[in-house]
Amino acid sequence: MEAAGTKLSRSDLVRTFWRFIFFNQMGWNYERMQSVGYCYAMLPILQKTHPDPEDFKEAFITNLNFFNTNPVVGFPLILGAHAALEEAGASLETTEGLKVGLMGPLAGVGDTLVWALYNSIVLSIGSVMALEGKILGPILALVLIFFPYLAVRYWQFFWAYNQGTGLISQLGSGAIMRVTELATIVGLIVVGGFAPSIVKMNTALEWSSDVEVRGEMTTQVVNVQQQLDAILPYMLPVIVVWLAYALLKRGWSPIRVIAVLLVVGFAGGALGILG
Amino acid sequence: MLTALLLALWAYACIWDILGPVFFLGFRPLIAGFGAGIIVGDVQTGMLIGGTLELMALGVYTYGGATIPDYTVGAILGTFFGKAEGFEVGIALAIPAALLLTQVDILNRFLNFIFVHRADTYAEEGNVKGFERMMRIFSHMIWGFSRAIPVFLAVQFGESAVKSVSNFFENNAWFNNGISVTGGILPALGFAMLLKILPVEKYPAFLLLGFVMFAYLSVPLVGIALTAIATALVYQQLKYHGQEA
Repeated sequence: MEAAGTKLSRSDLVRTFWRFIFFNQMGWNYERMQSVGYCYAMLPILQKTHPDPEDFKEAFITNLNFFNTNPVVGFPLILGAHAALEEAGASLETTEGLKVGLMGPLAGVGDTLVWALYNSIVLSIGSVMALEGKILGPILALVLIFFPYLAVRYWQFFWAYNQGTGLISQLGSGAIMRVTELATIVGLIVVGGFAPSIVKMNTALEWSSDVEVRGEMTTQVVNVQQQLDAILPYMLPVIVVWLAYALLKRGWSPIRVIAVLLVVGFAGGALGILG
Repeated sequence: MLTALLLALWAYACIWDILGPVFFLGFRPLIAGFGAGIIVGDVQTGMLIGGTLELMALGVYTYGGATIPDYTVGAILGTFFGKAEGFEVGIALAIPAALLLTQVDILNRFLNFIFVHRADTYAEEGNVKGFERMMRIFSHMIWGFSRAIPVFLAVQFGESAVKSVSNFFENNAWFNNGISVTGGILPALGFAMLLKILPVEKYPAFLLLGFVMFAYLSVPLVGIALTAIATALVYQQLKYHGQEA
């Protein structure tokens, strides 16, 4: 019907970008998740590419469909690619296909890359400095959030728009897989090193026994923690992380795992076993 | 009264940020506590409470909308009460507050369906202006108030209840020990959640490498992070050697 397409201006794109920035997850709900935020961001472009009122109404309704992905890595990419498709006069089936096809894989990459990995590194370093009383800690975290987050979202949106219809083949070429692998390796090394430094668990237990040494009675005290350290440093933190991991793997919810950790920690501390 | 209002407003801002801008990641306890510390005029307590809760909540995110404890509100209330009654009391109140607010989060994510149903009506009418007004003015309110109101009430009326809690603390050292040991153990959850989303079975060696760097070589955290990036790059260079980037 409008296969000729409608040229979008730079200001149309900028407008959609800022709408995305300020409203992407507003109104998030269990039923359709980020749908209203997505529709709100896309609306100025839809109005331009669907001049016929009935046609526009249909696009408006369709773009309220279920949508959910990572808001930092993923959402802007899909939005940019969608803008390019709108410009080329693609059908609603095509644009919905793009959204549904990309939101799942990108949510996985984005959640791992941004939430699990980048945030954990930046925020744990910031927190360790904050606990030492250094105000630089939270400030560093704020700087490393504001600028990179804005830059990565801006870049994705315009990159995806400029790639246009060629984007899908680009993403299919294994680029996503390689970025994910890179993030996975960094993540595993960081978890291996950060977990024992941040999880604190020591035993206060001592074992004392009276022994006879060459006819004299003496009391020997064995510090259990020192013995454990001799076998494997940070043995108790490793065990407790493994326990939590095993419970999650068995399908326990995070809240239930917290309950177990609360009981173990509180009872251990109150009874003087841990300390 | 002013403090209660400012802290409530800060709680609103912290939630508003993650609903869109992500300018300061206010929902993370380190940031929420730091901001609350500035508001109550005790940045040190804000950093201590926020930093401690942040380490407990590392890697704990709402992947796909799953519900987690509300450490944001925990950090704000913990900082406020921690300033008056000391760090231990602050942390001991922050954890139950975070767990209590979990229920509020579920309710609020459910109630937000109002917006999507209004949006359907606007779309069928082709009413762009109405939809835009709803988004600009109302779309963040259920989230925002569901955090701001509990913070306001707790700060304004919670003082006496908290006083008796802190008296109990002074007289019961064992309770203190329990809380402080718990604080050290809770970060295990975040690491477990990270391990669950990373393919541990596929690359166990990298996990071991990180552990050895810290446990035997005492490499600082930044050093471990940089070595991790270098290792990953070298691994991929060797693996994809000769292939197009």
